[in-house]
Amino acid sequence: MDTLVSKYANAASAASFDTADNLGENLAGWDAANEFALPAFDIPMVSNPVDFLRAHTDASAENRIRIQHGTTTLSFKFQGGIIVAVDSRASGGSYIASQTVKKVIEINPYLLGTMAGGAADCQYWERELGRRCRLYELRNKERISVAAASKILSNMVYDYKGMGLSMGTMITGWDKTGPQLFYVDSDGTRMRGERFSVGSGSTFAYGVLDTGYDYNLSVPDAIELGRRAIYHATHRDAYSGGSINVFHVKESGWEFIGNYDVGQLHWDYQAQPKGPIS
Amino acid sequence: MDTLFGITGKDFVITAYDSKAVASITLMKIGEDKSRELNSHALMLFSGEPGDGVHFSEYVERNIKLYGIRNGIELSPRAVASFARRELADSLRSRKPYSVNLLIAGFDVKTNKPALYWLDHLASLADVPFAAHGYGAYYCLSLLDRYHREDITEEEGIKLLDKCIKELRSRMILNMPDFVAKIVNKDGIRLVQLGGN
Amino acid sequence: MSRRYDARTTIFSPEGRLYQVEYAMEAISHASTALGILAKDGLVIAAEKKVASKLLDETQGGEKIYIINDNMICGVAGFTSDANILINYAQTAAQQYLYTYNEDMPCEQLVQKLCDLKQGYTQYGGLRPFGVSFIYGGWDEHFGFQLYHSDPSGNYAGWKATCIGANTASAQGILRQEYKEEGVTLQEAKNLAIKVLSKTMDTTSLGSDKIEFATLEHKDGRVVRRVFNQAEIEALLKENNLLTKTEEAK
Repeated sequence: MDTLVSKYANAASAASFDTADNLGENLAGWDAANEFALPAFDIPMVSNPVDFLRAHTDASAENRIRIQHGTTTLSFKFQGGIIVAVDSRASGGSYIASQTVKKVIEINPYLLGTMAGGAADCQYWERELGRRCRLYELRNKERISVAAASKILSNMVYDYKGMGLSMGTMITGWDKTGPQLFYVDSDGTRMRGERFSVGSGSTFAYGVLDTGYDYNLSVPDAIELGRRAIYHATHRDAYSGGSINVFHVKESGWEFIGNYDVGQLHWDYQAQPKGPIS
Repeated sequence: MDTLFGITGKDFVITAYDSKAVASITLMKIGEDKSRELNSHALMLFSGEPGDGVHFSEYVERNIKLYGIRNGIELSPRAVASFARRELADSLRSRKPYSVNLLIAGFDVKTNKPALYWLDHLASLADVPFAAHGYGAYYCLSLLDRYHREDITEEEGIKLLDKCIKELRSRMILNMPDFVAKIVNKDGIRLVQLGGN
Repeated sequence: MSRRYDARTTIFSPEGRLYQVEYAMEAISHASTALGILAKDGLVIAAEKKVASKLLDETQGGEKIYIINDNMICGVAGFTSDANILINYAQTAAQQYLYTYNEDMPCEQLVQKLCDLKQGYTQYGGLRPFGVSFIYGGWDEHFGFQLYHSDPSGNYAGWKATCIGANTASAQGILRQEYKEEGVTLQEAKNLAIKVLSKTMDTTSLGSDKIEFATLEHKDGRVVRRVFNQAEIEALLKENNLLTKTEEAK
């Protein structure tokens, strides 16, 4: 791990020296342009990248660079199908890496996966799941069930159990048996359910979701419940925020409902009366 | 931690598991199945590391079912338990051991006797008249010692199980919601309704 | 013509035959006889021992009847050296089963396991099939007493009474005639086995040194195997009035 850190240390210092002036004063036979051109990727915009990285890396094989741990995602079944709502913040410790992460992964037009834990792990494995689901479709001339798809994912990550994968996801979709919702994580847990929330803000989301939930909710009300539960989670959970993406899973496949900035939402909700307690 | 129960009687074994699925401090689900039917007369209950229970029990289930298909005869509960123990013991010496506690309840159709096996995550196997795993064991083993007889009927078995669950509900700090009970007897495996629920 | 298809066991002849397998069976039909009889309360396996030189030291046990598991014995006909390999394999397989399941291996599974190995040698290139047939007798909780026969091709079948090795035709004839429809008792089976051997053996003098004999019973929930020693075989011969004069004179 030290070698990795020192590599970044060079890169950071090199970046500050890398001006057009001193590039011209090369020693003979020393190709400075080539030497300095190597680290082409962006450096985090923090005062000391070395210290920053040290905080997010670990000598042990488990928990390597682990960015985007904090998240709030939720999904629930209701009369009109399934609502999926997520925040969009990527964080590494106290550092906000991004406010515009797509945490709903569109596996195919009928399957959605949510993302909590390691962003790369979720993206990679759900893309791999998408590939396998497509192969299933080509081989069997029919769409894979959500139960089978989620089992594939669970089996894949179970093979890597204990090797540092971090993933907490909900796989949703509509198949022959109707709307389906599964929770799958990198422990190898997989379970069917009616209502799940995953991530560091999940407890906050559950609070709003559980109290406002009713199976017979109308589609607009269900969308609003999902959005509101995520909003309240972003308000209380420092690791969740950015904007909210909402999806609606229907018989014809999923539909993207919208993206809502939580900053804007905050003032919108402030302006609204909270209403009576029923 | 999950609680599992198993009680043998005259001609049956009654088993029960709490159907909670927990992730750290959150209750994710009630109604999670913590058992697998290994063949028509053997049932496995599991608890322990998330993911391991389902994977291990399904692995055993597939192997036991394959044995039945290949050989046209079914393994006895004792053979099933020995197989599961062996697999667990081998896994224990591997890079990534399964971390599961098990109960195997069965009815031996050859000898017409119920069978209950207790296995822990270190692959100890014990043939017992009744058993419990998890924190529930600390409350209920004494209770079972006090009331259990070898010749109890199914009704008595259900009543005894209800006593155990009632004790957990009144003494354990953890909320103990729904228990799911299954009986294994000469006719196979069936769900039973508990009086306390 | 057939020569072109002799060299490799893996090749069918134009008539659809595997010559090497047939030759192996032919070899067995010259070997000394072994037979098995299933009784209601047990079973018998008996065999004729061909080489009976006075100089042969037989303290290390017989060469026709073997124990392959706690619940199973078998008789062989053919190359003893080949049989040793297979018996060792069967014994190992039975112990492996016991190791995993903590229970005796069911008889048919053990027979099948051995036959899978034998079959392999009729298909995979360049190897000679095993030149042995077996008669297996065993007991398990699924089907009680069972008698099986297997040949070099890897085929096997269950029997009430059967015979392998030389003179099988005449032996089978006697068995067919004498075996009662409703089954026999172990005592009757023992007598029948001795009778068949006495009639099919080439020698004029029938002695305990020319016979191997074993029974299998189920008593008090346990399988009881009994491999007869010379004195016991002699007693059995005496019972059936089959002891030759020279033997009696001794």
